[in-house]
Amino acid sequence: MSRPVHASVTRALVADLRHRLGAADPAPPRLALPPVVAPPARVYVARRPSLAPGAGSDHTTALLGIGHVGTRYATDVVLQFQAELAVAHEAVAAVLDDGWAADHGFLPLRSRVADHREYLLRPDLGRRLAPDSLARLQASAARDVDVQLILADGLSAGAAMAAGPALYQATADACRARGLTVGSPVCATFARVWLEDEIGAEVRAQVAIILLGERPGLGTGDGLSAYLVYQPALGKTDGDRNMMSNLHARGTPPEEAAPRLAALAHAMIAQRTSGVGLDLDRVEVAVERGYRAPQVRARLVDTGGRP
Amino acid sequence: MTVLEPIVPTILSMRRLPAATPAVLTAYGADPARHVSLGLITCDQDDALYVALDEATKHAAVDVVFARSFYAGAAHASGRLSGEILGVLAAAEPQSIEDGLAAVTACLAHDACFYDADGARGVTVFPHVIGSLGHYLARASGLPVGEAMAYLVAPPLEATLGFDAALKAAAVRAVKIIAPPTETNFACAWLTGERPGDLAACAAAAAAFAEAVVDVAARPRAR
Repeated sequence: MSRPVHASVTRALVADLRHRLGAADPAPPRLALPPVVAPPARVYVARRPSLAPGAGSDHTTALLGIGHVGTRYATDVVLQFQAELAVAHEAVAAVLDDGWAADHGFLPLRSRVADHREYLLRPDLGRRLAPDSLARLQASAARDVDVQLILADGLSAGAAMAAGPALYQATADACRARGLTVGSPVCATFARVWLEDEIGAEVRAQVAIILLGERPGLGTGDGLSAYLVYQPALGKTDGDRNMMSNLHARGTPPEEAAPRLAALAHAMIAQRTSGVGLDLDRVEVAVERGYRAPQVRARLVDTGGRP
Repeated sequence: MTVLEPIVPTILSMRRLPAATPAVLTAYGADPARHVSLGLITCDQDDALYVALDEATKHAAVDVVFARSFYAGAAHASGRLSGEILGVLAAAEPQSIEDGLAAVTACLAHDACFYDADGARGVTVFPHVIGSLGHYLARASGLPVGEAMAYLVAPPLEATLGFDAALKAAAVRAVKIIAPPTETNFACAWLTGERPGDLAACAAAAAAFAEAVVDVAARPRAR
């Protein structure tokens, strides 16, 4: 709009003229300022590199023993945290590919959720089957089975696609090895844990086991969880369920998890209960927990060895 | 000696008439068919306000319908708010008046003003250069809109020597020279470059004019 203050042609030419006539303003006297005290010089030195082999971080991937530089975290710790958080965000945002279930030999089912956003916002819709999925299940699934295994995306579709089929197959084989009949393989999209109640009840299974991608932690977007319930039916609560979490390479690997899940299912049928009613002392221990090497934090950011 | 100190003009009054009656519009030269709102300003420096009103026509859809100096200047005003000029902007709606008045205020604060030629405000000079004419002064001077113009004002004798110095100092020609006495008893000249749009020539002429006025103020009876 208006021209800037200094753009006055007349002011400029008059200032120039004043200078030529020797009438320019003398420099104003200096202002007396109090002396400025220099801040104390402090140099922070990291005591030892963070995330290095040390007391706490040898045995856990938790954020222990991460050190500090002055009053803040070391740069590599901050970068690692942001990278791990990004892994978790990516896992939650993943969606099971269309046709993936059918391609891998599963009967594709879907909850009443319409899209991924609704899946995150409406857990209640994720616990019930869509009408067409229910009809498909009724039409083609085996009934009156001992164990109904369900693979589902949960909150990490990537984990379900990567590790799901192997764990599913291993668990089904372990159940059959114990003489239990296993239902038709089904895979549910946009599924919450309680979806196993409706599916299990529909096929009249003794035990329903749902294997689904678990809510990601820092840097673990690849974990699966298994929830088991005896005599599944709508209205079962979490008190009626047993579960195993962290089914991934750095937690419980699938080859250890499958025999334990089969043992749990077997015990449920034997004791005719599940959840808090199940006496875990009488569950036959399928696999002794062997030596596990110290966990090593997967470095997602390379800082060239500098903290 | 401190000369050529800017004397910042004072806006003595500034009022709006959002919807003026046709009789008032007509009396002040506005056209009731096109104009509805008026903005009225009095100022203690007439030539600075003429320039500022022209500046307003470049920033808003306003017309300068009335601008007249008062006899004998601000020192002999009819009231403490009269100053030495009344300027009237007219527009089709009040917002244009607001925009125009804002441009006038900015121009008076930062651009157009008289300068002290003798260090005691006994002699003042207005060596103003307009880089680009608005349509008000363009119509008054007969120059095209956007032309550069030097707007030079000083007391009678000082101005006369100043005009001569200005016309000799650069490639400029006189558009109009108003010999004294005017309403305020100053003398005024409008100069423009011999080549169209020669802003540098106008600036050189204005500087020569101001220097001549300062010289007369310092040595009024020099041979």
